Amino acid sequence: MSDIGRAVVRVPKEVKKGEVATIRLVIIHPMETGLRKDPKTGQTIPAHYINRVEFYFNDKLFSRINNTPGISQNPYFAINFKPTESGTLKIVYEDNKGGKWEQSVQITVA
Amino acid sequence: MKRRDFLKVVGASILSLSFIGVGALPTSASATTPALEEALRKHLGVGLSAIKETNQITIKAPTIAESGANVPIEVSSTIPIDKVEALYIFVDQNPNPFVAQVEMSPLNGEVYFATRIRMGNTSPVRAILKLKDGSLLMAHKEVKVTVGGCG
Repeated sequence: MSDIGRAVVRVPKEVKKGEVATIRLVIIHPMETGLRKDPKTGQTIPAHYINRVEFYFNDKLFSRINNTPGISQNPYFAINFKPTESGTLKIVYEDNKGGKWEQSVQITVA
Repeated sequence: MKRRDFLKVVGASILSLSFIGVGALPTSASATTPALEEALRKHLGVGLSAIKETNQITIKAPTIAESGANVPIEVSSTIPIDKVEALYIFVDQNPNPFVAQVEMSPLNGEVYFATRIRMGNTSPVRAILKLKDGSLLMAHKEVKVTVGGCG
């Protein structure tokens, strides 16, 4: 399960000025609800889920997802984004057990 | 009591009980559940009856979901992004109806959010926009679930 926290981010590297781009990401994560029982032991599997995804552009936070395990396993998120200048898109995501990861993508606005 | 009378009484009470049962099921979108009310009050400070329905928010989701473990939803809105503070997703019939909150700002360009959610049962999916002036607007879509995905 060392893949937990790995993410695939899809966003256009070039965005035309005035246009809206879509940021899509999938994070590898079990998203345990805390309601499920281990079929072998009968014990409840503790909740373990991504609970926050933050989107920064040139270090300015512009959007944040606060979520529960109501989101499916290996969560997929997509939001829109309208950059007015070139810069760095940084996505920071964390889970309820203290796991924290980030990814950055350079975006050129032409 | 004679046997026949007894059966009549039992039969009548079963009938009336089943009617109550049907009436209590949240079959329409305006019906709320205790869990949903609690979640709405916790996150938005008001109950369902205080939130206005709008056609300015669109929810794309399957009418019948193949699996409740993985229901794709997509929310968009024609409301200008600079008026919007956050988008909330609720599923009435889930053990925890609150699914996600998406805080937005003008750099988002427009209101758009897509994800995949878990659904335990057939339920309305609600998208609620909180605007900067404090007002709340909602759209909903009923999604039928044959195999629940919350377990």
